[in-house]
Amino acid sequence: MAVKKYDAGVKEYRETYWDPDYTPKDTDILACFKVTPQAGVPREEVAAAVAAESSTGTWTTVWTDLLTDLDHYKGRAYAIEDVPGDDTCFYAFVAYPIDLFEEGSVVNVLTSLVGNVFGFKALRMLRLEDIRFPIAYVMTCNGPPHGIQVERDIMNKYGRPMLGCTIKPKLGLSAKNYGRACYEGLRGGLDFTKDDENVNSQPFMRWKQRFDFVMEAIVKAEAETGERKGHYLNVTAPSADEMMKRAEYARDIGAPIIMHDYLTGGFAANTQLARWCRDNGVLLHIHRAMHAVLDRNPHHGIHFRVLTKVLRLSGGDHLHSGTVVGKLEGDRDATLGWIDIMRDSYVKEDRSRGIFFDQDWGSMPGVIPVASGGIHVWHMPALVNIFGDDSVLQFGGGTLGHPWGNAAGAAANRVAVEACVQARNEGRELEKEGKDILTNAAKSSPELKMAMETWKEIKFEFDTVDKLDVAHK
Amino acid sequence: MKMAKQQQTYVGIDNEINGGMTSIGKIIRDAWVFGLIPETETCKGWNLAGIDALLQKVNAEWDKYGCLVSHLPEELAKRHARIHGEAMENARAAGWRGEHETDDES
Repeated sequence: MAVKKYDAGVKEYRETYWDPDYTPKDTDILACFKVTPQAGVPREEVAAAVAAESSTGTWTTVWTDLLTDLDHYKGRAYAIEDVPGDDTCFYAFVAYPIDLFEEGSVVNVLTSLVGNVFGFKALRMLRLEDIRFPIAYVMTCNGPPHGIQVERDIMNKYGRPMLGCTIKPKLGLSAKNYGRACYEGLRGGLDFTKDDENVNSQPFMRWKQRFDFVMEAIVKAEAETGERKGHYLNVTAPSADEMMKRAEYARDIGAPIIMHDYLTGGFAANTQLARWCRDNGVLLHIHRAMHAVLDRNPHHGIHFRVLTKVLRLSGGDHLHSGTVVGKLEGDRDATLGWIDIMRDSYVKEDRSRGIFFDQDWGSMPGVIPVASGGIHVWHMPALVNIFGDDSVLQFGGGTLGHPWGNAAGAAANRVAVEACVQARNEGRELEKEGKDILTNAAKSSPELKMAMETWKEIKFEFDTVDKLDVAHK
Repeated sequence: MKMAKQQQTYVGIDNEINGGMTSIGKIIRDAWVFGLIPETETCKGWNLAGIDALLQKVNAEWDKYGCLVSHLPEELAKRHARIHGEAMENARAAGWRGEHETDDES
């Protein structure tokens, strides 16, 4: 006999929070949850419970004072849909009145929408699939410090994807040698180098020495190449005060861009830093360490498209997006969906890309997607095709692993990206003709020729864990 | 009587992991290319300071050519191609593949 695991209490949630006749207002914040209920609990009751426990459900004990109006502030579950190909769960759509949340605070929105409700007894699992932020709320948020066009102007880079590389603190890489590795990458043709996310200010390389040596590398590379160069100086720190101290030092020595891990560092710290970056003319690169903890399970957690929207509101000029191709391959359609969310000013509902709502960003600047990890020159044609010009293509091992060294790896990638862009502009099909395009370019670049020989046999064929729901059929 | 901790020394490029396709391996091969050490020198028994000093000399040489092989004069380019070509061959024979270079990325 099944054990009863859930009891609504004195009053069923659906009496108050299930409202299928409700028409969402333009000002409502809308959410789509994927709900896996406990056995035997009706869908409407679970959906209503989600709406309640992510809005005003926990306030009912103080309701008697009548200072606030339940009907005005409560979330409403207004629709339920099947999940294609998966009978264990369903989509619940919830509308929240905008007045439920503090202006400009993704912290407040997430505290409600992914707070206590995720531990609620009526649920086995719960995943926040998407949020529609109304334009009225978007306008209360600061957003990216600068955006795509301003970054291109600051860096003086136009008409092609920008190139980056994460510098790995391999054994014996002192701050001085670390700076040298940055210089070689930038001198070889990269636009940016990047601190590894694990590098903060450990005893083996304190932040100030790293910042000084890296800045020296930038100045030297700029002088020799005549191009603007940057390095994502990681200011992620144990406290917001310390983070700001590092950011201010980076600005004072002339760094054009700094970096923050927005999930481990926290949304409040990120918003604070983004506002400061706008005021101080410093670009902000955002890393996403910890995202897989939240977004990898198809039935529980927060989908990355939500984390993307939250970052755009909180603020960042770059955000790691996944690569689509390469070792860390992600679902192509889903990735294209959240790349649109990063860059476009208006994104239409498109279930084929996992987008559940229209999203109007108004005049909020866009975020540049960063494709990073497990990619090399052979992926370049596909990357240029998929990501287009407004992107950063970041080759770590695909630069530093070049048998001739860091500068050679950088030069190989620069020649490859320029060849691909030229071919695309001439109307050639990059993914079909990639081999010919790269082989032809390698005739004038021994560095590219060697890179192609180094990586030619590599095939990455891992399956994607989190596919779009339509793909589960 | 207490002794100072024994200093770690380099195993020599011919005894390296990944067939010598490592950061230190690259430094030694470049030092051979630029004639900073003879090609018979494997650097076995060198301490970190010695390797680091060699790195600084190698960097100074590369700075003359903008760090790029394609900027090397003909003779040096040929020497570079021979030394690094042989190293690649040996490394592949020892089991090294380019994909190892992207294994630790996330």
